[in-house]
Amino acid sequence: MNELLNDPFVQSSALPLALGFALVGVLRVAGGAAVGRRIAVAGIAAAFLAVFALVIGVPALPPPSSMGKLFWSAAVGLALGLATDTVGLRGRAASALVAVWLSGSLAWIAAPAIASAADVATALILLAVGAWVAFGRLPSRAEGPAAPAAVLLALALAVGGTALIGSSASIAQAALALAAATGGFLLWNWPVERHAWGVSGQAALGIVVLLAAVLAFFTQAQAALLLIALPAVLADHLRRRLPLPETGFGRAAGTAAMTVIAILPALAAIGAAYLLTGGEASPY
Amino acid sequence: MKKLFAAALLASATIVAIGAPAFAAPVSYKIDPAHTAVVFIVNHLGFANAVGRFNTVSGDVTFDKDAVQNNAVNVVIETASVDTNHAKRDEHLRSPDFFNAKEFPQLTFKSTKVERTGETSGKLHGDLTLLGVTKPVVLDVTFNKEGVSPASKKETAGFSARGTIKRSDFGMKYGVPNIGDEITLLIEAEAVKS
Repeated sequence: MNELLNDPFVQSSALPLALGFALVGVLRVAGGAAVGRRIAVAGIAAAFLAVFALVIGVPALPPPSSMGKLFWSAAVGLALGLATDTVGLRGRAASALVAVWLSGSLAWIAAPAIASAADVATALILLAVGAWVAFGRLPSRAEGPAAPAAVLLALALAVGGTALIGSSASIAQAALALAAATGGFLLWNWPVERHAWGVSGQAALGIVVLLAAVLAFFTQAQAALLLIALPAVLADHLRRRLPLPETGFGRAAGTAAMTVIAILPALAAIGAAYLLTGGEASPY
Repeated sequence: MKKLFAAALLASATIVAIGAPAFAAPVSYKIDPAHTAVVFIVNHLGFANAVGRFNTVSGDVTFDKDAVQNNAVNVVIETASVDTNHAKRDEHLRSPDFFNAKEFPQLTFKSTKVERTGETSGKLHGDLTLLGVTKPVVLDVTFNKEGVSPASKKETAGFSARGTIKRSDFGMKYGVPNIGDEITLLIEAEAVKS
């Protein structure tokens, strides 16, 4: 069993998928009919933190490194999401909380590394994506969770693949674990969308931004290529243009199609990273 | 009476002069990077041990072979200089998975105590700071030789040190246990009088 848990492939895929699926279910049941529907999505961030602790270890507090700061920032995001979703906070107030948490976390992680104009530009791009996470996907929208979950899956895949090619296996495993945990959530919400997205979902999206920040500032990976993956955020806009009926089948097909559409730019980013290394990816 | 007093004074002075210990002054040396090797050995998946070194090492040694308590060592190693003879692996070692060279460009060792265990051997106690974490470590040290080097014509002292650390103690947990937690250190150093 120990050997299985220590297998990097299991740590990055099957384990977080199973944990994500299980934790979403547990939160749904524990929260009851009304609250459970809102907090279930926190299972994504919770599964991410559990796998991070297993693979990389629980960082010290205060954390000496950016990966440690990422862990504790994610933990704060999870706590924030659970608290606000439990009371049912929505709208601009919820978005503002996400914005404060995400911008504060980005500053905590990235500030020590900013030393050039390129670093400032990178920070601004990350802040812009963070602003989209906070305000572009308002939790008050009536839409189901599948669309933002598909975007999260795609972005996490992009970060994980780019990190793996760029010789940063721990960031790769963390990002791929986030993608797999999101898959666990999507298993509950396809073909029928059962849960809400909420602040906990926004927090999960924020975690992928923080992962991208660590990748960009503290590794040799070609993090700029992640920009190629950004069109994934438009996937649900494209979904509305698909000629699908407004039936259960139509909605399920639309979600599946949207997930594929979201993943395409992520694969393009990974492919570009692979080509830039001359076709030589880690591990050695 | 005066003669007796003078004789007693002379005798006392002689006894004091003979009995007093010879206090050698500690001498400062600078580590010679060209003749210093800091090597580490770590188990790789149980198949074999991987061997690596750091190519950029600097520091100073305060050496007093007659009074070991006066000895001190300060070493600074550039983590980005890690070298395992494989470019991709070295890039991985510099990443946040291991040495996190961008955030922690140096690892340092500062001695706190030296204890003699034999004629030319001792235990070097010190604080190792790696990834921002400081832990005490103990190295087995052998004093090899001191004198004027026929090559450089400079006063040189040479040492060997051995020790083991657990990288997880310093927060470097990635890959454990597939990539060994216990790291064996082999240090061969020459230091030139400042």
